[in-house]
Amino acid sequence: MSALARLLSPDSAAEGMSRRVFLFSTAIAGGGFLLGAASRSSGATISGAGAVSPQPGEFPLTPWVRITPDNAVTIVVSQSEIGQGISTTLPAILAGELGADWDAVRLETAPYALAYRNPERQWMFTGNSESCQAFYDLMRQMGAAAREMLTDAAASRWGVSPDACRTEKGFVLHEGSGKRVSFGEVAAEAAKLPVPAKPRLRAAGVPDLVGKPIPRVDIPAKVNGTAQFGIDMQVPGMLLAAIRTAPTLTGKLRSMNREAVAGMPGVRAVVALENGAAVVADTYWQARMALKKLPLEFDPGPNLDLSSSSVLAEYRRALENGPWATPVNEGDVSAGLGRAVKKVTADYESPFLAHATMEPMNCTASVTSDRCEIWAPTQGQELAFFALKQALGLKDDQIQVNRSPYAGGGFGRRLLPDFVVMAALISKAAGKPVKIIWDREEDIRRDWYRPATATRLAAGLDADGNPTALSVRVVSPTILHPVFPSIGEFLRQKGFDPSAMEGMLELIYDFPVRRVDFHLFKTSVPTSVMRTTGYGPNTFALESFVDELAHAAGSDPYRYRRRLLAKNPRALRLLDRAATLSGWKKPVAKGRGRGIAVADAFGSYIAQVIEVAASGPEIRVLRVTSVVDCGRVLDPVIAKSNIECGVIFGLSYCKSEIAFDKGAVVQGNFDGYELPYLAESPELVTEFQPSGEKLGGIGETGPVPVTPALANAIFAATGRRLRSMPLRRNGLRLGFARPPKGRGYA
Amino acid sequence: MLEFKVNGQLRRVDVHPDTPLLWVVREQLGLTGTKFGCGIARCGACTLHVDGSPVRSCSFPVSAAPGHEITTIEGLSNDVSHPLQRAWIAEQVPQCGYCQSGMLMTAAALVRLRPKPTDEEIDFAMTNLCRCGTYPRVRSAIKRATGQAEGRG
Repeated sequence: MSALARLLSPDSAAEGMSRRVFLFSTAIAGGGFLLGAASRSSGATISGAGAVSPQPGEFPLTPWVRITPDNAVTIVVSQSEIGQGISTTLPAILAGELGADWDAVRLETAPYALAYRNPERQWMFTGNSESCQAFYDLMRQMGAAAREMLTDAAASRWGVSPDACRTEKGFVLHEGSGKRVSFGEVAAEAAKLPVPAKPRLRAAGVPDLVGKPIPRVDIPAKVNGTAQFGIDMQVPGMLLAAIRTAPTLTGKLRSMNREAVAGMPGVRAVVALENGAAVVADTYWQARMALKKLPLEFDPGPNLDLSSSSVLAEYRRALENGPWATPVNEGDVSAGLGRAVKKVTADYESPFLAHATMEPMNCTASVTSDRCEIWAPTQGQELAFFALKQALGLKDDQIQVNRSPYAGGGFGRRLLPDFVVMAALISKAAGKPVKIIWDREEDIRRDWYRPATATRLAAGLDADGNPTALSVRVVSPTILHPVFPSIGEFLRQKGFDPSAMEGMLELIYDFPVRRVDFHLFKTSVPTSVMRTTGYGPNTFALESFVDELAHAAGSDPYRYRRRLLAKNPRALRLLDRAATLSGWKKPVAKGRGRGIAVADAFGSYIAQVIEVAASGPEIRVLRVTSVVDCGRVLDPVIAKSNIECGVIFGLSYCKSEIAFDKGAVVQGNFDGYELPYLAESPELVTEFQPSGEKLGGIGETGPVPVTPALANAIFAATGRRLRSMPLRRNGLRLGFARPPKGRGYA
Repeated sequence: MLEFKVNGQLRRVDVHPDTPLLWVVREQLGLTGTKFGCGIARCGACTLHVDGSPVRSCSFPVSAAPGHEITTIEGLSNDVSHPLQRAWIAEQVPQCGYCQSGMLMTAAALVRLRPKPTDEEIDFAMTNLCRCGTYPRVRSAIKRATGQAEGRG
């Protein structure tokens, strides 16, 4: 279990329950309301409350399964499909347990409703790599419940014992008589039966859909243009809106001259926002053309001196001076450092990063005085619901939050409700359904960035090179507060953000004594969750530092890690396998080097080896070998693609950063905020080594070790230690993974 | 009124001539498979074909379209039968999928010019951005579609 998961878990500590309720169910943004269902036990969400309404002729067995008389089985997908393949894996678990004919199953996107909350959090969202972890048991139970109801209905029709019946490919079968009946034929009777509170799961060994590669259900629509993303949503009578906000982060709209665009083609409304304006028109391009002509005056706000160098200086001051919260204090670190024969200290810096989902923020809203309905590419249905409620002053039953079937990437950005509320306010002002589409510049400049961090690690080594103590200081803004506003009280009381500490609270390595200090950095830069959350920067610092310790101890980085992992067989096994698979012991050519890193993140372990070729400023990433233990693999192809795409995503953390100047974000598009290209993508070698331990997450695991493994590889190739990312801060850049011919490459 | 062929059919639109072709195919013609990503021809999510050549339609004014044949992802095939589409499914290429229409259109133009593209040709042709990082599978799928041995396991 990840440190964050443990902190937030209901059963981990005495105060766990109150903390969970506190985190996920108390005041949102000062609203002061309680979620009624916060105390419901997990798995027992078979209430139908707020579930998808059945269509005429459909029989709902649970909020998750509906069946028509002609045997069409519909399974509801609660989790947002943001590319990770969850819309295949979760329904397949249910369908396998039910005994449905997978090829004939229909899937339906869930709206916001209590029935579709994450059962461990009692909160509807998709994030923290926990969809499979949190929903696996529930999907099994929902499949089993529906199977039991159908089987009972068939058995009673036949006058036989349900125990003598089983399900297969959408039919109930009676073993003794050979009778069979389709789900659809008994659905009406089954739907009248009570939903079993504790349905019996299928015996182990009965074939189901878990552990096999299932072709992703979303892919055919994604290769012919029919997949419906948020930007493709259509509502009758809908208008389109283009947005421009203040150039500075804290700027506000001072005035605008609506008259200037009033007569332009298609223009229907001009709406003032707190920090900008929207032009609403018949088509998006009409709105864009008018917006360009709309004179806007902004009050630039209080933080005009914000720049990358000023922020960095503040981070460095905080790293020296604190003040500190101390979430980990195990043993006498001063004494440990005191008895060392060698002391190693290093500071590491990670940059601000933008999510830059390929689909820019957009939302379609239809708001009247007493009703709000939105259709959004969202990961954060519940937060959107409460944000809308607060912004519009409506009651629960006046708000409907729908998710578009697909979202063009998420990476945490779509947990935030800002773009949803903006669409609702504009629709309300325009008096029409409106789809807002942010341009790329708005998308990048109005992001909630992966926070920059500054980290200092200090360790002592004894005469054998073994660590005597570890001291860690982390300076980071909050990650969790914008997506779980109720954590504000925790932040005030404890002084640290648990997400920003991920990967530092608990270490895979054995240090005799250890202390971790945290400084909650205050900044006008909006920060929140982004794929890898705290694990990213913390693993960059820790795994770079362990490399430095190995160097100081005169040891090979792989062998040195083996020493520190002597008490962690799970991590050691992966480390060994990654070393073998990557050919760690084989010598590399001049100018080349391999770097290794290992992590326990999002409930999974990962060991990674990166091989690079360095030539002047150019770093060619040749090969990334990843070995992953996520407990068990639910779908080998989907799991592999999550890890491999995660590796490429991790390379983006090494390529670009968000910079600030005069209170504004410098980059506005992909010309300044550059993402990796295909040509820069390395050969990927990926292997799963499932241990059978508790199911772990894989959505965010792949990128976690990439930054330190790359930095360690560059050290091995060049002798130069990178203590900050991205590469360009160090005068380096990514090169083609495969050298183009005729350009003088070795 | 502007007139040009889209996916084999003659279409007429009444829009400002500066309107990017991207927004015309999406809004006036209802072909929403072509995606908006950056607006500056950097990401390639809006790639479609103009007379068979890949064009980033966010930066291509509709006034330049008459006299040319436009093909969007919806016109690549009407039954997911293009070899690249089949390879994309076989290799399970997409993640979020948002960039994939443009990725496929770029690849389709590449394989028309180079029926068996080399790695280097793929590197230089496939400059579309994929935030999810599906690049290695894009390469594999292009090779599969063009009958070249798989580079990776």
